[in-house]
Amino acid sequence: MDTPDRSIAEFRAELTAWLDVHHHELAPPYDAPRSLDDQIAQMQRVKSILFDAGWMRYGWPARVGGLGGSPMLRTELGAALAARDLTDPGLFSLIEVLAPTLIDFAPETLAAEVVPRLLSGAEMWCQGFSEPGTGSDLAALHCRAVPDGASSWVINGQKVWTSLAQYADRCVLLTRTGPPDSRHRGITAFFVDMDTPGITVAPLEMINGVKEFAEVFFDDVVVPADRILGEVDGGWAVAMSILPYERSSCFWQRIAYLYRRLEQVVEIAPDDERNAQIVGDAFAHLHALRARSRVTQHRLAAGETLGAETSIDKVLVATAEQSTYDAARRLLSGAIEIDDSNESLTWRTEYLYSRAATIYGGTAEVQRNIIARRLLDLGGDD
Amino acid sequence: MELTERVLLEATTRAALAHASADADPVLAELGWLEMLQAEPDDAIAVVFTELGCTTTATTALDDVLAFALGLGPRTDLAVMFPFGTGDSPGHHDGNYVRATGFGTARLTTATEVVIVCNNGAGAVTVPSAPVGAEAVRGIDPDGRWFRAHVDQRAELSALAPGAWESAVALGRRAIAHQIAGATRAMLDAARTHALERVQFDRPIARFQAVRHRLAETLVAIEALEATLTAAADERSPLTAALAKVAAGRAARTAATHCQQVLAGIGFTTEHPFHRYLKRTMLLDGLLGSADDITVDIGRQLLAERRVPTLIEL
Repeated sequence: MDTPDRSIAEFRAELTAWLDVHHHELAPPYDAPRSLDDQIAQMQRVKSILFDAGWMRYGWPARVGGLGGSPMLRTELGAALAARDLTDPGLFSLIEVLAPTLIDFAPETLAAEVVPRLLSGAEMWCQGFSEPGTGSDLAALHCRAVPDGASSWVINGQKVWTSLAQYADRCVLLTRTGPPDSRHRGITAFFVDMDTPGITVAPLEMINGVKEFAEVFFDDVVVPADRILGEVDGGWAVAMSILPYERSSCFWQRIAYLYRRLEQVVEIAPDDERNAQIVGDAFAHLHALRARSRVTQHRLAAGETLGAETSIDKVLVATAEQSTYDAARRLLSGAIEIDDSNESLTWRTEYLYSRAATIYGGTAEVQRNIIARRLLDLGGDD
Repeated sequence: MELTERVLLEATTRAALAHASADADPVLAELGWLEMLQAEPDDAIAVVFTELGCTTTATTALDDVLAFALGLGPRTDLAVMFPFGTGDSPGHHDGNYVRATGFGTARLTTATEVVIVCNNGAGAVTVPSAPVGAEAVRGIDPDGRWFRAHVDQRAELSALAPGAWESAVALGRRAIAHQIAGATRAMLDAARTHALERVQFDRPIARFQAVRHRLAETLVAIEALEATLTAAADERSPLTAALAKVAAGRAARTAATHCQQVLAGIGFTTEHPFHRYLKRTMLLDGLLGSADDITVDIGRQLLAERRVPTLIEL
């Protein structure tokens, strides 16, 4: 890691030049704040332009329409889009937790058919993992799939916290196929079309007023057996395979956005000692996170298997994200609490969203439990 | 340096320092520290200072690092005065006089000459060490063999290469941050061992989540520090080094708080080695500027420039 990978540096330089030239074409056609509908439309439009120009295809294998190369190329793309505020990094980086699942676990023809549609913005997908009784403890999920003859399965149950389900054309769904107490041994993953009869989506309003999440109900939903991802009762491996991408590429994109947001605070905040302390503190958190995430991505690119040590990355992301928005709240005096300008409304929305950084993707407490057991080898807990 | 070579060096250094007396300089000399520093500065500093942190032995190796970065050494007969609580150069030269207040290692008492960088790095004076009259600092870490000196005498200012003092502060900060990384790893090891062995309420206290989370939090801080050190070696600049020193100060505070709480009674005695690490890291945090000092400096710089640099790339 002494010198950055030359091809990645070249890619970044070419991408930067291209994005500069095409700025007006890519820029959102509206001012902040934007509705979720607007954000989704913008993201799909940007993906479409970037797919046609080839940029969306770097870092993905040729068998799903990609142009090959290191997965870090797509990380660079996501980070560049986030840093320019062209797409929301949280929404855009969902690709990283959806496409690799299909590439690694779907029948080849299915992956070849659908992954290009996700990358090009022709489709939206969602991830049906969490349930009302299954937050941190994913292996306790209940949503039931039973065989219906030899060629199809019937699914009944409920999911919750499903991001963008109301926009989604497909869902990567985890179901219980083993006995109720089979935990991680009795889970099967399906790739489900969201227009299948029996699926009902009920969006949930978050603390910031945005309806990003939804409850999804499955009532006798019939899914063809060739839509199983991986093996029957092998769904835990599918769920776990997402972790390396979620904890590398997604984080790097989030980091790029946080740098941009802190810079927007620094551009206008009064230059005094108190603010210098707050800005310096938030920046030091961001830098430590970026340094850690960089090491993690080079490990992944070198072929290492990422595991429990990425819980450290997760703790650092949550800490840095909340520290960035805490800094914004303290430096943009009153903006988040009492100002109704467009800029302040965006700050308010994002500030409130940042409180979830220690909750989603495994709570701060679960991460510390993993660190204690797996990295510090402290044995079982009480 | 190849990975296998570095692992070997780590093992050799660790083994050698394990048997060092209070003064580890002879051990470092035998290891070929000065030759390593000149041939492979990044690896030499990383390995040697990490192991120094693990053992809490005292050396004068920081003088070599600073002299090397200033382009004046390393020389075993040359001491370098350094600041505590700031990264500003310790001396002020005006007319033909130098006035300086600063710190040093035990080298201040053995070297024939002392370098005092003056006027924000514009130049330096080299004075014979005898009149400097270094006095031992007892302070919180008497085993560290720290010294302070006040200089007020006639001396000629020699020009320094532009940026030489900033480079010396940067390399010095990296060295100290490595030392803190080693020390905090040792604190965590001690607290972890204690948590697994200490039985209360019929079980090792390591089974209690409140204890586990303190140790987990400490590991996060140490690994964040180590990542910033990798970044500072891969992209050498005063800012990446400063950020590593900030991460070091934070890790030191986190490790001290959590490990001391987990060690509880035994960690409050001098029977357990914890106190040496606590005291050493408190002192090291202040050398060349503490986490708090540097954080404010960096924040001031960002606000003045109205930008947030992203630094390291993939």
